[in-house]
Amino acid sequence: MKFDRRYILPLLLIAVLLIAAVFPGVFAPYEAAERDATYQAPSAEHLLGTDNMGKDIFSLLIYGARWTLIIGFSSGILAIIMGTAIGLLAGWRKGIPDEFLMGTTDIVLILPKIPLVIILAAYLGPSPWVLILVLGLLSWESIARVVRSKVIQIRSSNYILAARCLGFSDAKIMVREILPIVFPVIVPKFVLVTAAAMISEASLAFLGLSDPMMVSWGGMISDAFTYSGFLRGMWYWWLPPALCIILGVLAITSLAFIHERGVREVVQL
Amino acid sequence: MNKAVSRKIIRYSVCLLIVVLLVFFLPRCMPGDPVQCLVGEDVYVTQEILDTLTIKLGLDKPLYEQFGIYIRGLLTGDLGYSYTRHQTVADLIWSRVPWTLLLTGVAMIIGYAFGILAGTWSGWMSETKRSKVLTAFGVVVSCIPPYLLGLIFFSVFVYQLGWFPYKGFYETPDLFSVAYHMALPILTLALFVFVRNLIIMRGSVLTEKNQLYPQFAKSLGIPRNKIIYGHVLKNAILPIVTHFAIDFGFILSGALFIEIIFSLNGLGRVMYTAILNLDYPVLSGLFLVIAIMVICANLAADILYGIIDPRVKRGEEE
Repeated sequence: MKFDRRYILPLLLIAVLLIAAVFPGVFAPYEAAERDATYQAPSAEHLLGTDNMGKDIFSLLIYGARWTLIIGFSSGILAIIMGTAIGLLAGWRKGIPDEFLMGTTDIVLILPKIPLVIILAAYLGPSPWVLILVLGLLSWESIARVVRSKVIQIRSSNYILAARCLGFSDAKIMVREILPIVFPVIVPKFVLVTAAAMISEASLAFLGLSDPMMVSWGGMISDAFTYSGFLRGMWYWWLPPALCIILGVLAITSLAFIHERGVREVVQL
Repeated sequence: MNKAVSRKIIRYSVCLLIVVLLVFFLPRCMPGDPVQCLVGEDVYVTQEILDTLTIKLGLDKPLYEQFGIYIRGLLTGDLGYSYTRHQTVADLIWSRVPWTLLLTGVAMIIGYAFGILAGTWSGWMSETKRSKVLTAFGVVVSCIPPYLLGLIFFSVFVYQLGWFPYKGFYETPDLFSVAYHMALPILTLALFVFVRNLIIMRGSVLTEKNQLYPQFAKSLGIPRNKIIYGHVLKNAILPIVTHFAIDFGFILSGALFIEIIFSLNGLGRVMYTAILNLDYPVLSGLFLVIAIMVICANLAADILYGIIDPRVKRGEEE
């Protein structure tokens, strides 16, 4: 298979973010908790100035990559596991399980996600794990749908019939024969769910519903909004994390776009 | 009543039930005294009020009786009382709902109309440079969370250029003042709606383009615009209606965030202060009202879909 050159730029961007997330200490000039004079303008010492707590904004930006990516990818993985399992089961076993599972899918689809996450986060307290669990558990429905329709499409094909005639168990057929076929459909969905989780995380952090001990880009924008970063005209406070969110989401979604060759799938965001 | 519609209605009812159960059980399952969770954490009330509330909500009774009391309250429009704001939640929400619906409604009309037209054009002319630029723009904007879009617009048009007002307080319901304050938020939300529909529509038209009927129409000598907007658009619009189910929730959430950014007097502002004060009754009430709004919108979309696509009515789903 020829490598598509359009993958280079998004992959490069994701690599940069990943490196920043894994080794923030190497690139950040200051520790995340280190404090200096507050509200400084950008200078040689503080590339992007300091925030209301006197923390170096540039360093926070680098440390912020970690939680955004962890939350995005973990919810993506959780959603993919649930969606694939449910989709496989619904497609393979017609009748009541299918009806039940697709009914559940419909219900999860309608539930207004952001308000739901907000109320859960408000009651359960701001924790990244609550966020991952809720975002992951609410994003599997689109994956389950594509997996199901793909399974229905291939379940009556001859090689599946052959496998059944040879007496392989259902579980074995699903894992060995169906999963590889379904896999290419799942990958772009995984990418989109991850991007959507990153957007949700940024939105919730903006509302102040993220752990205050956890540096995240959304949280930085929220601080800039609450602690008069706008009135002071400190664009270097909120614009860099905003750009990081946008570029991160764009890089991840564009992987799905290039793969799909049609832009329709972005709707699921 | 056909099978498809009744199945949908069952699903919507179950969805509503889940939302109600969630709102009911969350405060009651939290560790500690449930009455504190029903009042809110950051508010100081006397023991006397807590006691009367315990009796009123039946918190000393078994759960099923509490649920009965709760449901009876809901059916009479009682969503609880906010001790932070000293106002019933229902009053608070109902006074703000029109503003949110105004913002969402106008933005959706603009966004859907332009999104569908531009998406059709962009899908039909997908090879041209202008269409590619428009699509790239759509993809980039669709990756920006709505509140960031609002922040960027706020900083550029309000802070730097000073074209629009800082605060969205419109005490006098004067049409001009409302329009002046709402213009930028509506534009922001409309842009968000626009790019989503642009992308769906473009993809849908791209698949329609390969069908035979547009070519046949062309060979009959029907003018291009009539083929695109008269025939192709009609067929390609179905995914828009299907996606309305997912989109409405997102658009509404987006509207809440945009209201926070522009300090508009809608539900978003209520939600924001409720989160800051951990005002649980308001948060629960809001969640319930938003869920009901989303479910109603979905029901409307289903009915609309049945009108547009007669195949659904006959039960030939998928």
